[in-house]
Amino acid sequence: MKSPTPPKKSSILPPDKESWITKNPFEEFKTFAAPTPDLPLDQIVQSTEAVMDRIRRGYEKLLEEEAKELVWMVQYNTIIKAYEVAEKYVREVDYTAEDIEDFCFALENTQRIPYLIPGPAGVYISALCNYAMEEEIVLKLSELKTEINLIGFRLSKGKRLMIEGDTGDFTGIGLEGGELVIEGNSKNWTGAGMRGGKILIKKNIGLHTGEWMMGGEIYVGGRVRGLGNIVEGKVYERDKLVYPGKVRYPNLYY
Amino acid sequence: MEEQHYQSIIEEIWPKLRRKHLYPEIPMPKVKGIPDPEQGEGEEGEGVGLEMKQKQMTINGAFVSQMKDKMPEKRVIEALLDHGITHYTFCPWDFHTHLRLYAEAKKVVGDKELAKQMSNYFIDVIADTHCVRKRFTEIPELHRNLKKGTIEEVIAFLYQKIWGIDLGIPPSKMSVKGHADIVRRLARIPYLDRSRWGESIRKFARSLKPLLVEEQKQQGSKGGKGEHNPQGEDYLNHYSNEEIDQGLRDYARQTMVLSEFKDVVEDFSDELKGAGYGMEGGMGRGQGSPIDADILFYMKLAENYSIPIKKVPLEEKGSLHPHSHSPWEIGSPFQDVDIWTSFGKIMPGITQVWTKREGKGRGKMEGTPDCLIAIDSSGSMINPRKSLSYAVLGAACATNAYLQNGSKVAIYNFSDAPMGGKDILNYTDQREDIYRVLCKYFGGGTALDLEDLIPLTQGKKNLDLFIITDMKITNLEALIGFFGQIQNRVTAVHIGDNPYAARFEKAVEKRKNISIYTVKRKEDIPHIVLGRIRDYFNPTHIKKS
Repeated sequence: MKSPTPPKKSSILPPDKESWITKNPFEEFKTFAAPTPDLPLDQIVQSTEAVMDRIRRGYEKLLEEEAKELVWMVQYNTIIKAYEVAEKYVREVDYTAEDIEDFCFALENTQRIPYLIPGPAGVYISALCNYAMEEEIVLKLSELKTEINLIGFRLSKGKRLMIEGDTGDFTGIGLEGGELVIEGNSKNWTGAGMRGGKILIKKNIGLHTGEWMMGGEIYVGGRVRGLGNIVEGKVYERDKLVYPGKVRYPNLYY
Repeated sequence: MEEQHYQSIIEEIWPKLRRKHLYPEIPMPKVKGIPDPEQGEGEEGEGVGLEMKQKQMTINGAFVSQMKDKMPEKRVIEALLDHGITHYTFCPWDFHTHLRLYAEAKKVVGDKELAKQMSNYFIDVIADTHCVRKRFTEIPELHRNLKKGTIEEVIAFLYQKIWGIDLGIPPSKMSVKGHADIVRRLARIPYLDRSRWGESIRKFARSLKPLLVEEQKQQGSKGGKGEHNPQGEDYLNHYSNEEIDQGLRDYARQTMVLSEFKDVVEDFSDELKGAGYGMEGGMGRGQGSPIDADILFYMKLAENYSIPIKKVPLEEKGSLHPHSHSPWEIGSPFQDVDIWTSFGKIMPGITQVWTKREGKGRGKMEGTPDCLIAIDSSGSMINPRKSLSYAVLGAACATNAYLQNGSKVAIYNFSDAPMGGKDILNYTDQREDIYRVLCKYFGGGTALDLEDLIPLTQGKKNLDLFIITDMKITNLEALIGFFGQIQNRVTAVHIGDNPYAARFEKAVEKRKNISIYTVKRKEDIPHIVLGRIRDYFNPTHIKKS
């Protein structure tokens, strides 16, 4: 049986031992413990991280809804639907152009974002660009190992998106009057279905360029590998008008 | 006179600084003499306030004098020393981190000089920010009074933003097109998070690159070197030879990619030569040949592994006595250094070591025999100068094990030996020579010439053999026959499963002196060979397992 009161510990210590216990051996450092001030850097980094978390969560939800099996087929309907979902999440976040660039690099960091599916990622980045506060967005993506597809989707009038680096397929599709500048190369189906605006590719461009484009202009600083079936609009290759004018068959190889 | 005054200031503040930085092991800083203005000397380094060589910090008296109208000398010195100490205590901390940051910066900027500048700027931002955050420091005041170029202005603007301290950058300069944008990007980087420095420096370099490229162009057109960094330059001088050695070793282990290592070593070749690497006939003797980055890579990578060797009884083993001198090279042990003929210095080219010779004695003492390493460099093997060859790495580990035990190593590098595709190195303890032969690649057919091997084994009572090959040897029967005759300890490593290897294994399975190691994945070579060799050399270990 336990006693109701615990035995009292003796509090009497020899005088020399008492002083020995109370003395902090690191007393000398105590006087010099400089307070660590909260720098504005801490707040900036913290808020940047918080925004990035929200952007990342939006992308993960988009994948959950649109790419359940981690497979995503590029079709007209799937793009429209994915964009609508992306819009829904993007509207809830307050971010800047730098956050979009950081997100592009975070996509390649598998520890932070487990799945990079180029289609939904491109749609999501396009939605981020379209809903950003800035009218001019510069994304420095030249060190990105992955070429992002569908970038510049539905870029609206008054917006200017400049990409430093190369882009993948379906760049600037469905452009709605914005200006899209690619400092590098772009792959196939660039400007497909664009309704207005301007796409400027500094280097080369792939096949099916301007497929079903309804208006606007595409300027290519390098070579055009092949044109698509263009309804209306203009395509320039090295300042020379290649469509309309000289008849060119779809996907004619130069 | 002023020099003495500055030295007395240092002596006064040094205990306080040491305490502030939690007693770093750094010697008392010195003051560099102030040049005589009449003689027109010293203009070159006037803009540099602090020099660091190994761990010795030196304050430039001329710089402090120049600054004394703007802020008290004591505060200038304190700020410079705070900055210098933080390089040792926080960033970059060691040579390996420095190399890593440089390599990341180079991935973005592509140019060697730009990458060096970029990593220096990044390191400075981290060091200063760390100081401002953790310690009472005069660094902000120093930045307020420093003469600034375009990049320094942008960085000061960044400091204003991330430290929340006014550094006197006029608003007109902040609104220069593009600068505000750069600073906004730079301010988002988590400078104090060490685990993210790799990612951070890439972001830093991406943002600052246009300015640096612009400045490089301007300097190119002017033909000058540009402004000096008042907080110090040539950061590679900070490190001692041992730190450089350790840094290269860590970097080789971390990257495991030959091309990356080679890139970095070639970029730093001038500095590494200054530290004694790549000299003629071994590291640290006179002027000479360029650094062989491939050899250095395998050398440093192999140093990360160690193979224990069980010693065997050697007859007539007497004690060793110093016999003659040979030059000391970096990486060699210090215990054999002859301080009298080395003039008390540890410096490649000057320092000498005693070469010991065995005396005549009786009895059986344990020792490590010499080793003959046969390495296959035929077309079916990986070219060690193109990508990481685990065969060369395995042989390199074995080489180190024998050399560290005071034995000598001979190399027989073969491809189509009867047709001349071979290189033979006689028994030596010169590590660089051994590695040079190991790294040689012939890339032809695979045939051994026993006529070459026999002279290397003859006259050696105790000798170990180490062969590393894929066993696709045309005259495999001859090799099997040769191994059947000898009693030496043989370690045979073959890569992958193939009929030749199976045949070899079957033929020598009854021979107790031959141990065979199959490596299905090339990456397993250093690990499996190390473990199995341990088993082989240590019979008790086999019994337990």
